[in-house]
Amino acid sequence: MLFSSIPFLFYFIPCVVILYFAVPKCLKNSVLLLSSLFFYGWGEPRYLVFMLISITQGYIFGILIEKHCGKGRSKVFLTASVLLSLLLLGYCKYADFFIDNFNVLTGMSVPLLEIALPIGISFYTFQILSYTIDVYRGDVPAQKSYINLATYIAMFPQLIAGPIVRYSDIARQLENRTHSLSGAALGIRRFIVGLSKKVLIANILGEFVFAFKASDEKSVLYFWLYAVAYMLQIYFDFSGYSDMAIGLGHVFGFRFMENFNHPYISGSITEFWRRWHISLGSWFRDYLYIPLGGNQVSRPRWFLNIFVVWMATGFWHGAEWNFVLWGAMFAILLMIEKLWLLEWLKKLKVLNHIYVVLLVMISFVIFDAASVTEAFSYITAMFGGWNIPIVTFESVYYLRSYLIILVIAIIGATPLPKKLAAAAEKSKYISVAFHIAEPVVLMLLLTVCTAFLIDGSFNPFLYFRF
Amino acid sequence: MSVKLKNISLVVMTAIFLCGFLLWSILKPTDAESVSERRPLAAFPAVSMESVLSGTFMTDFEKYTLDQFPLRDQFRTVKAVTACYILGQKDNNGIYVKDGFASKLEYPFNTDSIEYAASRFQFVYDRYMADKELKVYLSVIPDKNYFMAQKNGYPSMDYEKFVSDLREHTEFAEYIDITHLLELPDYYCTDTHWRQEKITDIAQHLAAGMGVSLSAEYNVNQVDTPFYGVYYGQSALPLAADNLYYLDNAVLKDCKVYDFETNAYIPVYDLEKINGNDSYEMFLSGSKSLLMIENPNATTDKELIIFRDSFGSSIAPLFAEGYEKIILVDIRYISPNMLDKFIEFTNQDVLFLYSTSVLNNSITIK
Repeated sequence: MLFSSIPFLFYFIPCVVILYFAVPKCLKNSVLLLSSLFFYGWGEPRYLVFMLISITQGYIFGILIEKHCGKGRSKVFLTASVLLSLLLLGYCKYADFFIDNFNVLTGMSVPLLEIALPIGISFYTFQILSYTIDVYRGDVPAQKSYINLATYIAMFPQLIAGPIVRYSDIARQLENRTHSLSGAALGIRRFIVGLSKKVLIANILGEFVFAFKASDEKSVLYFWLYAVAYMLQIYFDFSGYSDMAIGLGHVFGFRFMENFNHPYISGSITEFWRRWHISLGSWFRDYLYIPLGGNQVSRPRWFLNIFVVWMATGFWHGAEWNFVLWGAMFAILLMIEKLWLLEWLKKLKVLNHIYVVLLVMISFVIFDAASVTEAFSYITAMFGGWNIPIVTFESVYYLRSYLIILVIAIIGATPLPKKLAAAAEKSKYISVAFHIAEPVVLMLLLTVCTAFLIDGSFNPFLYFRF
Repeated sequence: MSVKLKNISLVVMTAIFLCGFLLWSILKPTDAESVSERRPLAAFPAVSMESVLSGTFMTDFEKYTLDQFPLRDQFRTVKAVTACYILGQKDNNGIYVKDGFASKLEYPFNTDSIEYAASRFQFVYDRYMADKELKVYLSVIPDKNYFMAQKNGYPSMDYEKFVSDLREHTEFAEYIDITHLLELPDYYCTDTHWRQEKITDIAQHLAAGMGVSLSAEYNVNQVDTPFYGVYYGQSALPLAADNLYYLDNAVLKDCKVYDFETNAYIPVYDLEKINGNDSYEMFLSGSKSLLMIENPNATTDKELIIFRDSFGSSIAPLFAEGYEKIILVDIRYISPNMLDKFIEFTNQDVLFLYSTSVLNNSITIK
């Protein structure tokens, strides 16, 4: 079930919220768990089995790891849990990739498994991994309640697209959290803002991207517009979804970590990855990069660590070579920055931002491509290759038709709106006007989003495939 | 307003909005069809173990919630107005409005589609006409984009190339050009079709091309009911209704129309259709595979066979005074293989009269 859908907004969420607040405190996690399983099963009833297996093994091994803490068995149980999680993820997500490449290399024709990827498996697998590793490290006690652990892993707000919530971050909240009017209002506000980002910006830009791909009359301008539109679409799509998840978390008394912090204003790629998909970046940092030795090793080993982490990051996003290339591109860029470029970038005022935007844009062209060949074909076209015209009538039409939404998206991707709001809050009169207008504006946004959902058939979610 | 009051307002308003529409959705009777969109609406899907496990129930339920949402048409208008007038999009669902005229983007030029349509016309010609003394003509009706698109900055097809490609593949037919006689006001503002009261000169020109003279003297009758064409519902934009007119005279009053599908006679103008989903269907009762207009007052024994789409419904009656019989064939609804069961091809005039919209999306032609 998508957050940005009529069944979720007008059937699922009102029923779940009413039920959640109607039951006593001791049953709230049960309500959340059952509703989360219903939410997940709604789209993928068959794949509930995979998730329940993952939860159960995480629960059992968590207790075993804690029970044998400090002993060799603890490591065995951790290894078993990690392997089980990764095997399940590998089977569902990567088996066909390896079989396909094996066939290409050997000339054999091993049949593909053709398994449909269970939604959110990459996210919940990483949450289970973080849980068992944290228990092994002694950072958190093992969760004795199956319902509580299952609620953490399956919780519908963050189940299918993150943020990747660490168990250590919400362990206390699972057992003892408070609910308040201000928390609910904050959550609603955040949810509606996220919904608007998704429905009113990302989906509309997605229509542009779709029109571009369907066009037979591409031009250099059209390729650049596509690259800009896709870069903005994926940001508003994913950050909108994260906003909705964080907002729903607030309603149910949880505090999830922030996942985005205006990544396109970054002055370096290093900074970009501190602002983009923060929960994934910090997960790889804490559970892969630092255990490998981080930067506290020799320089060649350090760069190897960076390379391993970024290949894994690319591969996490998808079992295709373009994702591997995408990860490798960032690995190389980060190595170059760490070697010498970062110091130069800090001295620049504007060029560093252009550098980041340009490279991130190209990275997302690779990310979005159906194959590595297509990615290079698109990038070549952006720089005038393939003898395509600079401008076509069609590209100018789409520029005119999407200009306002592009401008809104570009401004919205910066901290400017937040800064303006903060500045306005300082003025007494404007602040009062803001307080009066805010609920009305949010209701208008909710109405318009509903209207777009009712009339629009175009409502993909880019991060679902991960 | 204090922060607390603001929070209370927000929570209460959201709860009323979500729960209110939930209750309204549950209590509202199911609508069978959308008048504005001219399509049946999804009903609540049947629940079974198989449909739940396969996920089809969930997919169908989502369609049901979208189709049956309270105030659906009003929400669609909110979306269209926001997209076009606030977000500055040039079209909504592919439909744009300029100077009060709505049109659907017909772009790009689909070469395969034109070749396919031409191949079907060629098939009809080879099978029924090649060895006969029939005179075969072809004419293409430009869609509204021909007049609206390029000058308003919308992408449009190369109509000259469109026609020349079609003619290249239909050399068996003599082409009669009508584009120079048409202009935008000859079409309805909210619909794809041309207005019957504006195309008498087109009928005269086509008839003259086929060697027939028409006086084209008619009484103009206005229909009382406002006409909301297909683009009105599709665009969901607030458009003014069209006035619908139809032409008659002594010849047309005596004409009878035989419907081969029902083996019954139907009126030239079915005024009951005016209150249906598509008032344009009043012309020869809308989508019909095979019709024959019989003119008992004809002063000639000439016959005309028109291979046509829906544009033909409104112009065909205007040829009546020049022919004893006019047979209308819509090979989107009847296989060309079956035509000799109903039509004896001898020495009739044959006119292939198609709009660019159908030719550019000719997959519907059998």
